[in-house]
Amino acid sequence: MAPVAPKSGDAIFASVDRVNAELFTLTYGAIVRQLLTDLEEVEEVNKQLDQMGYNIGVRLVDEFLAKSNVSRCVDFRETAEVIAKVGFKMFLGVTASVSNWDAEGTTCSIILEDNPLVDFVELPDTCQGLYYCNILSGVIRGALEMVSMKTEVTWLRDMLRGDDVFELQVKLLKQVPEEYPYKDDE
Amino acid sequence: MIVCVAVVGHQNNPLYIQSFTEADDALKLHHIVHCSLDVVDERVNNPKKSGPTLNETFLGLLYPTENYKVYGYLTNTKVKFILVTTDLDVRDADVRNFFRRFHTAYVDAVSNPFHVPGKKITSKVFAERVSTIVKSFGLSSGS
Repeated sequence: MAPVAPKSGDAIFASVDRVNAELFTLTYGAIVRQLLTDLEEVEEVNKQLDQMGYNIGVRLVDEFLAKSNVSRCVDFRETAEVIAKVGFKMFLGVTASVSNWDAEGTTCSIILEDNPLVDFVELPDTCQGLYYCNILSGVIRGALEMVSMKTEVTWLRDMLRGDDVFELQVKLLKQVPEEYPYKDDE
Repeated sequence: MIVCVAVVGHQNNPLYIQSFTEADDALKLHHIVHCSLDVVDERVNNPKKSGPTLNETFLGLLYPTENYKVYGYLTNTKVKFILVTTDLDVRDADVRNFFRRFHTAYVDAVSNPFHVPGKKITSKVFAERVSTIVKSFGLSSGS
């Protein structure tokens, strides 16, 4: 059967349960603020957000695969497209675009023009080193790790730091071959 | 022309005050705002009307001075917005419209997770939005 990967997540987004966007935004804001109070160091907060995102990602990927009906991606390019078009739409309600591929096809940028996490947010001078949306990079890293891709996700541009878009660089480090616990001839 | 806008917290502590004049009269304007707070208290404690206007946030003209007119607005969380204008014939609808937009800007500013409730509003975005609203004041009426 030919793969019928949905070209966009609109249909899925329409069918999944949603919460009020402001509730979501403010909840995330409260989490970040609490982390800043608890950990004090901005660097630690970045790490913690990434770790939280990772933990979300390793679980979220199952839900994503169950609900989105995407089939196996043939290469990393398709994976990135699916994340940007289907994944972001399904869970954040926004669509991202993919660009800046390098020659080997292992590094790309996911560009978010609209990000519901940062509505209302303005970074104070004391938190300039904070990657406010670091949870997203963790989610992508965690999700891809569960489908046997080791990646490194870094922020290149951040609207909270005065850039015009959010740009996440996703770098494929290693594709872990899937190992089945059984042999073919059994 | 609007010369001054202010946001005052529920314990009459200033949260944001900005004047829009060239001249160095910020102190005088602050004084006017300060005085108007008494009028706000008076209005709140002795409501003339009840019933449908019970939840009315717009307080109307607080008091006219020689050169200025002062309008007030009280949110449901007891945060006061004060507007000082030099226009002598201001339409009520314009002022209401101004406060409505100002309130929206305020709500967005306090929704910033880095804003501490009850502390001064330091947001640059808020300041910019306020100055845009102030600039557009009265333009819609064509006066």
